[in-house]
Amino acid sequence: MSFLRSAARRVVGLVVGDWLQSAVVVFILAAGWLAVSRFGGPALVIMVVLLAGQLVWFARADAVRQSRL
Amino acid sequence: MGQQIFIFGAAFLGSAVESTEALTIVLAVGLTRGWRDPLMGAAAALLTLAVLVVAFGQLLVTTVPESALKLVVGTLLLLFGLRWLHRAVLRSAGVVAMHDEDHAYRQAVSQLGQAAATRDWVGFVLAFKGVFLEGLEVVFIVIAVGGAGHGFPAAIAGGLVAMVVIAAAGLLVRKPLARVPENTLKYGVGVILTSLGTFWAAEGMGAAWPLDFVSILGLAAIYFLASRLAIALIRRPALA
Repeated sequence: MSFLRSAARRVVGLVVGDWLQSAVVVFILAAGWLAVSRFGGPALVIMVVLLAGQLVWFARADAVRQSRL
Repeated sequence: MGQQIFIFGAAFLGSAVESTEALTIVLAVGLTRGWRDPLMGAAAALLTLAVLVVAFGQLLVTTVPESALKLVVGTLLLLFGLRWLHRAVLRSAGVVAMHDEDHAYRQAVSQLGQAAATRDWVGFVLAFKGVFLEGLEVVFIVIAVGGAGHGFPAAIAGGLVAMVVIAAAGLLVRKPLARVPENTLKYGVGVILTSLGTFWAAEGMGAAWPLDFVSILGLAAIYFLASRLAIALIRRPALA
């Protein structure tokens, strides 16, 4: 059972490290989907910038959180 | 052709990192408990992983429409790549200690010492568990990279070649491959997988990229710059 639990945790952990960050990424993609169908290329650029931006934001937030521990 | 080479490269690098970690476990078990059972455990795990690749790969490619496949797999690959990239940023900035195969090896050996009084199949189970759990990430990379990009043969070849190269290196040196630049590799693969995921997710949305597949290089440059910015913002003296 512990092996199955480890495997299940590993499978979920493949794509989810931080639930909030994953939710933000999915939200950006969903908003991007709507925007791309309406505005095309410029919306794609904004989506990529937002995805890159959240990487910086969450890495910094994680670093601050770990420094408090 | 360029796309197939890219898929091979991504699968090779991603699989090489995970194979190095799996090798450390098999070596730790083999060198402390004898080789027969750990090798059988590793082989059983590889067989199970191969079945997973074939079953899920075929299922995905044959049953899911292409645009949905690209959107879903692209999103999952993006999340997966970002997780690796996030970790790589924290390691490069000195917030999290670098992954050390020698340390992982010593830890595994010490755990085995504590388990020495238990039954014989411990070696088999430990090797199976280690290879299977590390291999799940390889399975994911191969299925995701190969499935969305119509490049299953290239992705499977990349994964297999990486595994054979790492296993051969492990056979030669008979100690953990501490010299494999695992942290740098994970950083690079994180950038590549995040870029591929973004590319395919957007294609699944119906977007058309300028210069088609070449756009991935632009995406990789953007994510690399973002990661360097994050590292510069949070940099600390490196942890041991």
